Amino acid sequence: MDFRPNNIAVVANAVESFIREFFDQNPLSHLGLITIRNGVAKRITELSGNPEAHIRALRSNMECGGDASLQNALDLAREVLAQIPSYGYREVLIIYSALSTCDPGDIMDTLTKCKGAKIRCSIVGLSAEIYICKLLCEQTGGVYSVALNESHLNDLVFEHAPPPPALAESAIASLVRMGFPERVSEDAVALCACHKQVKVGGCYTCPRCRARVCELPTECNICQLTLVSSPHLARSYHHLFPVPVFEEVLLNLAHSKLPNVCFGCQQDLPIGGSKELGVRVACPKCKQHFCFDCDVYIHESLHNCPGCESLPHESNV
Amino acid sequence: MAKSNDIGQDDVSQVVILLDVNPYFWGRKSIESGSSGLTFNQFMQSVVLFVNSILLLNNLNEAAVVAFGTRSCRFVFNSKLQGRNDKLHSSPSSRLLKHIDEFLNTEDALPTSMEQTNINESSLLSGALSLALCYIQRTLKSGQPHPQPRVLCLQCKSDAPQQYVAIMNAVFSAQRSMIPIDTCAVGTEHSAFLQQAAHITGGIYMKPSMPEGIFQYLTVVFATDLHSRRFLQLPRPAGVDFRASCFCHKKTIDMGYICSVCLSIFCKKRSSCSTCGANFSQRQPTSIGLKRKSATITLS
Ligand SMILES: [Zn+2]
Ligand SMILES: [Zn+2]
Ligand SMILES: [Zn+2]
Ligand SMILES: [Zn+2]
Ligand SMILES: [Zn+2]
Ligand SMILES: [Zn+2]
Repeated sequence: MDFRPNNIAVVANAVESFIREFFDQNPLSHLGLITIRNGVAKRITELSGNPEAHIRALRSNMECGGDASLQNALDLAREVLAQIPSYGYREVLIIYSALSTCDPGDIMDTLTKCKGAKIRCSIVGLSAEIYICKLLCEQTGGVYSVALNESHLNDLVFEHAPPPPALAESAIASLVRMGFPERVSEDAVALCACHKQVKVGGCYTCPRCRARVCELPTECNICQLTLVSSPHLARSYHHLFPVPVFEEVLLNLAHSKLPNVCFGCQQDLPIGGSKELGVRVACPKCKQHFCFDCDVYIHESLHNCPGCESLPHESNV
Repeated sequence: MAKSNDIGQDDVSQVVILLDVNPYFWGRKSIESGSSGLTFNQFMQSVVLFVNSILLLNNLNEAAVVAFGTRSCRFVFNSKLQGRNDKLHSSPSSRLLKHIDEFLNTEDALPTSMEQTNINESSLLSGALSLALCYIQRTLKSGQPHPQPRVLCLQCKSDAPQQYVAIMNAVFSAQRSMIPIDTCAVGTEHSAFLQQAAHITGGIYMKPSMPEGIFQYLTVVFATDLHSRRFLQLPRPAGVDFRASCFCHKKTIDMGYICSVCLSIFCKKRSSCSTCGANFSQRQPTSIGLKRKSATITLS
């Protein structure tokens, strides 16, 4: 399967949106990038929680060529993932465009080692189904899929962004102490505690010991407090407090006092007698009426009901 | 940022202004400060002049105003509706003022729930933001070359921690649609939520040191369209306050305890999570449990 303008550009776009989505859905998780080309696997980013750094590295590593070695890639990934404490969840996602693998040793050994290290391997293929890829995914509990076209590729890669369902149950619940550092002024000059370098602006101050750190999330080098940016955590809160599903309002009931416009976008709504197309939905909580477009936007992106938010908050949240 | 193909289109703006008309703020202010400081009348006059200047800067510019108080939020002005409801004899400014008057009267008449003894004095910023984003979404969906939307939020009352989750939801949605949220803290305190909103969406945060001169700040800083901002030295934030609010008491905190399953924030240690019901075992893990590490491999 060939993609336009070329495979690498399409793959890079898919990976870039995957990285953003991954951190949206797994705010405290880390991720690292490895490229496979010319028979070798190369680490281009270390495990970290900064999407922009990964995307920058990805964009500056767009060359391709030579054979692919699945074994070298898995060995390197295993080495990278070995740093994580045992309760962490290890996963490898491979986007593979070659039709074969060119390995220095026995790939079956590597497969067994991955299984032993509890690494879940998933592969999104770009060409045809390959037996060893299928076997690897089956044996490690991952998912193997082959993309048919560009949008299918994007969908397949995106499916790996939400945490696997088993994770939510197996994770040990714990209460973790964390700090929310303040970002210092863009012109402030300070010595950072992580690199021991003088930095101008863009630093964060640990709320407990006032040390400066360069990037979030991290652990304070001085007092060991886990430091996160609170918006980072807030990205997943909409899962906790979902907006109720809106109900369709039946127009043949001929209410005389239906609102004329959508509460959200102020667009005209279909009214009883008219033959105008479109639906009108209502929030079961605040009873405000919305158009179809707003219904979709509210549930898929905004995650707030404008009607409910326009009422005084008592026990909201 | 601006990816417009049409030359000239990039200067066209759609500005949705969120106006805090909280009576507790403005009422108390007029009693405390007498005639000094910013009064509600001056504030409204500045906003009216600002809306007019936006509309005059480019005849394709659009402006809408959402007023938010303590008990409701509503659109009080929309430049697109000009000539539809009102005829020639009413200017945009008089319409805006008329509707704000109506808004204040209806908000006054809204019944307070009986059991609520201590009245909530915070302004409904989350509602106003949500309304503005729904409205802008319609512009983005229109398909035709559309003006560059942005939100300007004029908040007077201090942050309402109970709205934290809703405000952040709206901010992330704005970020995804690349809508900058400009924020201006008109009151006496800096606002952590407004700072975060501007920082995340690429907008400008400002707290005027002399609120009486609000019109000056509005025209010099917030009237500039997104294209021109690249060439200007606009105020840079003196830091961003990333504090969050705890789920248990809605207090703003800079250090707290996080549930590793659902990421709820608590200000004190507790035995179970009130949001997801997770039980916190006695053993103290060294780091967070819900960690998912992944190595993505791209192949060439
Ligand atoms: Zn550093
Ligand atoms: Zn520290
Ligand atoms: Zn609508
Ligand atoms: Zn509602
Ligand atoms: Zn609390
Ligand atoms: Zn929880």
